[in-house]
Parts: sequence; structure tokens; C-alpha cells
Amino acid sequence: MQQLLTTFLTGLTLGMVYAAFALALVLIWRSTRIVNFAQAPMAMITTYVALVIVDAGMSYWIGFAAALLSGLVLGAVIERVVIRPVEGKPEINAIILTLGLFVVIHAVAAIIFGSGFRSFPAPFGLRGFEAGGVTIALTGFAVFTICSVAVVMLLLVALFQHTDIGLKMRASAFNQEVSRMLGVKVTRMLTLGWALAAVVGSLSGLLIAGGSLVSPSYMDSVVVYGFVAAVLGGLDSPGGAVVGGLLLGVSLSFVSGYVGSDLVALASLAILIVVLLVRPAGLFSHATARRV
Amino acid sequence: MKRWTKQMTRIAGLITVGALVAACGAGGRPSSGSSSDTAAAEVGITKDTVTVGATFPLTGVAAPGYSEIPTGAQAYFDYVNANGGVNGRKIKYIVRDDGYNPTTTSEVTNELVLKDQVFAMLGALGTPTHSAVVDFLNSEKVPDLFVSSGSIQWGNDPKAKPYTFGWQPDYEIEGKIIGQWVAKNMPDAKVGLFLQDDDLGVDSEKGVRRYIDKQIVKVAKYTSGNTDVAPQIAALKASGADLVLGFNVPAYTALSQLVAMKLNYKPKWFYANIGSDPELIGSLLSKFSEGAVGKVNPLDGVLTTEYIPGVDATDNAWVQLWQKVWDKHGKDGHLTNYRIYGMSEAYAFVQALQAAGKNPTRKGIVDAVEKMGNDAGPPLAPFRYSADSHLGISGMRVVQLKGLVADPLTPVLVTDLGAAPIKEDDSAAKDGPPASGIPEVKPAG
Repeated sequence: MQQLLTTFLTGLTLGMVYAAFALALVLIWRSTRIVNFAQAPMAMITTYVALVIVDAGMSYWIGFAAALLSGLVLGAVIERVVIRPVEGKPEINAIILTLGLFVVIHAVAAIIFGSGFRSFPAPFGLRGFEAGGVTIALTGFAVFTICSVAVVMLLLVALFQHTDIGLKMRASAFNQEVSRMLGVKVTRMLTLGWALAAVVGSLSGLLIAGGSLVSPSYMDSVVVYGFVAAVLGGLDSPGGAVVGGLLLGVSLSFVSGYVGSDLVALASLAILIVVLLVRPAGLFSHATARRV
Repeated sequence: MKRWTKQMTRIAGLITVGALVAACGAGGRPSSGSSSDTAAAEVGITKDTVTVGATFPLTGVAAPGYSEIPTGAQAYFDYVNANGGVNGRKIKYIVRDDGYNPTTTSEVTNELVLKDQVFAMLGALGTPTHSAVVDFLNSEKVPDLFVSSGSIQWGNDPKAKPYTFGWQPDYEIEGKIIGQWVAKNMPDAKVGLFLQDDDLGVDSEKGVRRYIDKQIVKVAKYTSGNTDVAPQIAALKASGADLVLGFNVPAYTALSQLVAMKLNYKPKWFYANIGSDPELIGSLLSKFSEGAVGKVNPLDGVLTTEYIPGVDATDNAWVQLWQKVWDKHGKDGHLTNYRIYGMSEAYAFVQALQAAGKNPTRKGIVDAVEKMGNDAGPPLAPFRYSADSHLGISGMRVVQLKGLVADPLTPVLVTDLGAAPIKEDDSAAKDGPPASGIPEVKPAG
């Protein structure tokens, strides 16, 4: 019973991190219609920024804020400098470019920060809560993770559904030409989309690093699972990304604990295939309505 | 116009093929006629150099700790070279990074053998990585000395791999020695195994089960690369195991300690030698300064094993020699257990090179290593090398970590694969290095 609960709760926490990462992918997809594979190393590098600041003796929260801020800047800069030249060309160009960025950022991080494992602090306790002599595998940091991802999801829903700027972002992603004619500053919207997505990505990086070890490749498995989570949810819906992340986190935790840890990657692909067979556009997609 | 380009393509193609063929012929080995000195006819050996190669993870997940090994070996070779080398030859040591990725290992090993033309490989690290190249090295007849891995495959079948030799005690005898110690000292413990899902886990589980098959209540395996070990530790906790034997690499020692803290799981921990370096684990866990972790070393009180004297044994003559060598020839950083490991391998290589005689050949050094055994060296137990076994050091002792110091709980215990009994043998633990710090081995006759 205890093992069941522990496996479930650790899966839940991990699922929330996948969800955060999937949210970043959804954000960029909704605002630019491309999938950003460089999201993981971008998040990794901002996490290292936080680590450098914490190592210099400053508080965790200053590092936290600096990481999110540098995510914002990094996202905007990459959009302006690297992605802008291929905008308007076939989407595959931009996607290939993000794969290239993946490799480059990795290598740069290894040169600057070294390639070894380093421990990353957590602002809250890392010891599980106890309730009536039973330890619940939910730490202060896990609660923080769950809450912050939930808040980010709600903010994104609010942004896209209830604000002007969200509407403009969706419009410019959906049809640049028409939006431009209607007076939307499309390029600005694209930059904003990248910047916000990078902030959410940085958050997922910080959440998975907290109370664990980081190395330049620590986000690599997250990119796979986060991508699967986003596709499960339909790539279009923030709610779907969170549900997809949770579904994936919990099921993979059970596979690892009860079946075999070597089957985790396989299981994630099996889940993806099953979901796509049943609902080809993902669990929460609106994409079908748009198909012409 | 079109015909012209077609023709040019053909000509260019022909030239390329021709150049390639010529290049292949030019490679290979140095032509024997070029040197008038017949003594220098062996690959990788000249009148005044011996070139050896090694592959190590200098980057990536396995780099912490392991990347320090070649710096130790290099420092010792610098020391030997500064004192005149071996039979007048300086040792040239080429290290290439494989990032603990078997595909890269193949690439860089090819480079070492075919391009750098090394005489021998020395201390190449890792089970999955070295498995990728061991057949290539044997087919090329390159001595593959002292592989830095405890898999039994390097030495249990010398007929299949005549040029490969293990070095550290293999995982099976480590499992046996740990198993017997538990059976004797903690017969009522409910034992959980925390295993890496490869040779490391398989070999050591076999050894452990020989003694405490009935005491084992749960086996949890993690896959290297998946850093979420919570499901495994949860399964161990649920099984009620109060003694966990961990056969894992250092990063997973840190991860398992972190998760155990999260689950409030406090069994007795016994980590196999490769995952238990207190300094490395302490630095990995340094940030999590909650409760016991922090000022006190997180591995305080943990059980482990030891087969060469560690950096904490400052009054040991070997460690004093390593300190002297490191102070003089070491690069950045201080002396660590991993650097001592590298120096000890380098020391054994110098012994082997001396035993191979004045004009060493690849075949000659293999024969010499097979006769190596009781020459004084840093290992606490003798080597097992013979024509029938290429397995390395024959034993170790059980120790308990007190801070950074390893406190011996047993004498040196020596054994071999399978049903071979475990015996006490302190003979090799008492010797010290020669005054010069360089071995003085007579050529094997």
C-alpha cells in the first residue's frame, strides 16, 4: 500500500515537471507553429545560471528569478537572431534549426560549466511529510512543483483565451498575412511567444533540478517525455499538456517500480502510439476544427 | 557541357579511389626496413619511447571521479620518465575521451590503434564501453592491459580474449566477499539489493546469492541514465529490507541517498567499492544540507570495501609515494582515490613492461603479465594472472566509513570465481614500495 502511494506520488511530481515542459512546447507551438527541440538545453543553461548565482552565496530565490529572467532574454534573442531568418520558409527549416541549437547549447554548456554532475539546492525540505507514522513521499519541494505548474497552466489559459495579446499571438501564429493586415505586429508576437515559452521551460528546468543533480544532459530525458506529454494533450491545449504530463509521469513511475526500469522509455512510446491510434490529434486538440 | 562534367566526375572519382587505396597501404604499421635497430621493430616501441593508449569518460555522466584516473596515471608516468623511464624508454601516454558512449569508444580506440599506433592499451574504462572494442583489440593482437572495470568477462576466458587482462577485483568476488560478511555478521538482516542493470548487477548478484540467497527479500534494478530511482527505493522500503547492498556507480549512490531521505527510509547501507568514494559523494550531496547531510559526511557509517590503500591512509608507504608523485607531477587539484587508482594501474604497467624484458614485444608483455603475481605492488591482495585466468586483484577487505576515513572491519579476504573458498591473506597488504618509487622487476624468463 505504502509502495503504491509512494510510486504514485513520485510519479505525480515527475509528471508535473513533464507538464511544465510540455506547456513550454505548447506555448511555442500556439504562438509560432513550430516545435522547439532546443527547449531542453535552453532550460538547462538557465538552470546553470541559477546554480552559479546560488554558488556565489546568494539566496535561492534570486537565482530562481535570474534563471527565469535569463530564460526570457534567451528566448527572445534566439527568436530574433536564429529563428527569424527562416520564418516564412517551410516549418521544417525552423525545426531542424532547433535541433542544431540543441547540440550547440549542449556543447557550450559543457565548455562553460563543465560536464560533471553538480548538486542543485532546493528551497524547501527534501524530507517526506509524515502523517501518523507513515511517511508520505511528498516533500515541500514537490508541493511547490505541483502548485507552480498549476498556476502557470491557469495563467496560460487566461493569456490565450481572455486577453488581447493572447488573441494576437494566436492569430499571428495561425495566419501571419491576415493578422498583419489587421494591424497585429506579427514579429513582435513571435518574439514574445518564444520569450514566454523559454520562461516556462526554465521553470521546468528549475523544478526538475531542485534537490537533485544537474549536468549538461540532465534535461535530455525530459525533452522526450515532455514532447510525448505535449503530443498526448494535443500540442494545442495547456490543459491537455498538464493531463498528458501527469498521465505519463504516473504511468512511467509504475512501470519503473513494478515492471522494470529498462522498460520506461518503451512504455512512453507505447502510450504515445495507443493515444494517437485512438485520438490521432491528441486528447484535447482543437486541430480538427481547423483542418481545411 | 553536360558530357564534360560527367567525365570530370568520373576522373575525380577514380582519383579519390586511388588516393584511398594508397592511403590504406601507407597506414598499417611502420615498415620494418626503416629502422636499423631490430629492437625497435614492435609497433608503438622506439629506441626511446613506449606509446600506450587509454579511453576514459572525460565528459558526460560517468566523468565525475573517473576522469581523474588518467591524471593520476599521467603523473606517475611523468615521475618514471623523469627518472629515466623504463630501460631508457620514456612512456608516452595518450588518453582519449569516449564520454562513456560505446560508439565513441570504438571510434577513439580505432584512432589509438591505427593512427597513434599504440603498443598497448592501458586501463580503458567501463564495461559497456570496453565491450565494444575488446574483440577488435584481440583480433589486432594489441595488449589490452588492466581494464578499469570489474566485469568478469575480461579475464575468465583467456582463450577467447588472449590479449585482455582485468585489474580490479571482479564484481563476482566482491559480491561473494560482501555476501559472506553479511551472513557472518548480520545473519538476521533482511537484505535488499540495489543493482545497476548490466554486468555489474548480474555478476555481483551471483556472488552475493552464494552466501545469503535466503536473506534477500527484494532486488531493485535501475537503468543507467534514468535518474529517477524513487520507484526502486520505494520497492526496497516496501519489502522491509533493513540492509541495502548497492552495486552502482557513484552518481547513483548520491541519488539513492537523496531518495531515501525523501522517503524517510533508513536501512543500513553497504555500497560496493566503485560507488562509495566518500569525497566524491560528499561533494555531490553538499548542497542538501538538511539534518544529517552537510557538516557530517553523508556516507558516515556506511559499509564498503577496499582493495588499494586510499588517500585517507596517510601513514601507508604507498600513499606517501603517491602523494610525493602528485606533489611533483600532478596538475590541478589534490590527490584523490581515483588518482591513486590511476597511479596503481600505471605502477602495474611499469612492472609488466620491466618483466617483458629489454626489447618488449606485444606477445612478450602478455606472457610476462601471466607470470606476474607476487611482485610487491599497491594492491592489498595478489593478482590472479596465469595462462588460465586473466582476472586481476584477488581480494579486498570490508571497511566502514568514518567521515572520509575507511576503518577496516576484516583482514584482506582473498578468493576466486565460483565455489572457490574465501581465505584471509594479508601477505600482499604489508609490502611497501621500493625506495626509488619505481618497481624493480626482473625480466620474466
